[in-house]
Amino acid sequence: MRDFILPSHLLGRLYFLFALVVLEYVFCFVGRGAIPGHLKFYGMNTDTYGQIPIFAYLVFLGFGHLRLKAQQGEIPFGRVLFASHLLCLAAVFYLTMEAQEGLGGLFPDTSGYAKSVIYLLGTFLLALACIPLRNWIGAIRATGLLWLYASLAGVAGWFFGTSVKFLWNATSTVLNGTLQRSALHAVSTILGFFLPDVVTDPATFTVGTPRYLITIAGGCSGIEGLGLVLIFTSLWLWFYRKEIRFPRALLLIPCALGCIWLLNIIRLATLILIANAGGFEVAQTGFHAQAGWIAFIVIALAFSMATQKLSWVRKLPASVSPSAGDSRSGTMQMLGGASEQAGELHGESPAIRAYLIPFLAILAASFVSKAASGYFEWLYPLRFFAAAIALIYFWPELKKLNWRFGWFGPVTGVAVFLVWIAPSWWAHQSAASPLGTALAALSPAARWTWISFRVAAACLTVPIAEELAFRGYLARRFISREFDQVSFTGLTTLSIALSSLAFGLMHGQHWMAGTLAGLAFAAALRWRGRMGDAVAAHALSNLLLAAWVLRFGDWAQW
Amino acid sequence: MTKNLLKNAFIVLGLALCTSTAAHALVFYPNPKTPEIDPSLAIGSLTLLAGALAVLRVRRKK
Repeated sequence: MRDFILPSHLLGRLYFLFALVVLEYVFCFVGRGAIPGHLKFYGMNTDTYGQIPIFAYLVFLGFGHLRLKAQQGEIPFGRVLFASHLLCLAAVFYLTMEAQEGLGGLFPDTSGYAKSVIYLLGTFLLALACIPLRNWIGAIRATGLLWLYASLAGVAGWFFGTSVKFLWNATSTVLNGTLQRSALHAVSTILGFFLPDVVTDPATFTVGTPRYLITIAGGCSGIEGLGLVLIFTSLWLWFYRKEIRFPRALLLIPCALGCIWLLNIIRLATLILIANAGGFEVAQTGFHAQAGWIAFIVIALAFSMATQKLSWVRKLPASVSPSAGDSRSGTMQMLGGASEQAGELHGESPAIRAYLIPFLAILAASFVSKAASGYFEWLYPLRFFAAAIALIYFWPELKKLNWRFGWFGPVTGVAVFLVWIAPSWWAHQSAASPLGTALAALSPAARWTWISFRVAAACLTVPIAEELAFRGYLARRFISREFDQVSFTGLTTLSIALSSLAFGLMHGQHWMAGTLAGLAFAAALRWRGRMGDAVAAHALSNLLLAAWVLRFGDWAQW
Repeated sequence: MTKNLLKNAFIVLGLALCTSTAAHALVFYPNPKTPEIDPSLAIGSLTLLAGALAVLRVRRKK
């Protein structure tokens, strides 16, 4: 088992460099206005022209992948240069904060140009720290004129991208007005099939019934779904370009765009129909928020399946199958050119189904139940049944795991519970939540039925499904594609940290406690290598939390 | 060689156009009042999508 180490070869270093620049940019500057507003050279700023080097770099990496990968020499890491880079970064950050907050420090009047020079110098030092100059020259020699093509592609991408940006501008009537208008008329037409008294006002983009009217704003006109689908389909085609036939596969993009636009129309029409039937709360809260994501997920999955299943789009095994004496065959095989071969080489382990599907069933059920709910998720039992059915279905495979547990699991569970409720306990007050009010409004039978399923899910299905997904699959998947071959006792520090962070992020406002809980559950799993210890810890902490919620009415914990 | 280059250039331009304009669209509407795509559900939604895609990419058993 290996822990995280710095990539020692050229290609890995190039990816590492890109990731580092992006991470530094995001963590240090986004939201603070440090670089986007100040990195200016002769009237050029990063908002516009920064796309050129970024895109050129990605094209260089993408098309030079094989040749860069062939450069196998070990590359040293320039620690002094890296330290100098950090100094530059700290200087830019300090100068920006000083200027923004009016601290009146050492250099209150430093211009944006000076900061830009320091930032670019720092980036240059980082590039040399990661990859020495001689290796940069070697990379350019190994890839021929690719640097030129990549630069041209960067400029072309920027030019075409900028040329069509006005189409997305809300103040422009070219596309946005068209989208709003077309959505308005399409929704009105659909409603006309079901309702006799449809109200439509093209001047204000208002549509609905005398009982319920909506205004189709720019953000609701379908533009967000179109944007997400464009990003997804582009990335998907790029990532699996070796398994897909071009340029015909590009035709799938407008098909996907048409589908997401149509689903948004259906979403808006359904929203009005639900509200018109009296379900104002469901329409405005649950359905409105969930339906857009459900539509996007459906389209994304359909698109990915189309690229894998449609023989018109995917490369057939016969068209790229290796033959004797064919010099391309080795390359194609290495690239996974044939989808069958690619599936064998690059597909996920079949064991993934038993580990992930119970958790995915909970997520999918939560989308459905929330879409059909208002502020109170009355269909919560659906989550319990979805996970239970998935677990029962995959139990023949899952029962091979060691489900026994010792003292360490329950002790971990108690510790996690204490960490989780510490903020509430410390504040001596429970955070306000509409859940308690909604439950109080139910009849006793309905209330206790709902609570019973909530507790059963928290103590049974959720711990098993989440431990299988985050510790059983994700933590081991960070180590190896063949994750089911990795022992639980062999989990690395990095894999535990990353999977715990992902687990924490799934818990919204409780993300920090969730991350700590993930670390604790992973420790329980790693202790004896038994899934039972992690599940026992998770189940007990959830049980204690349920008792806390019911005893003290701290409904925000649910 | 030229044909391959043209093909790659075509792909690159198509993808550049898509990602560039789409990213701009999402940046332009970062927080609408009643969003079509609710940002607060992004983590759960993308997790569901990524998980489903991983399951769909499972290797076939021989």
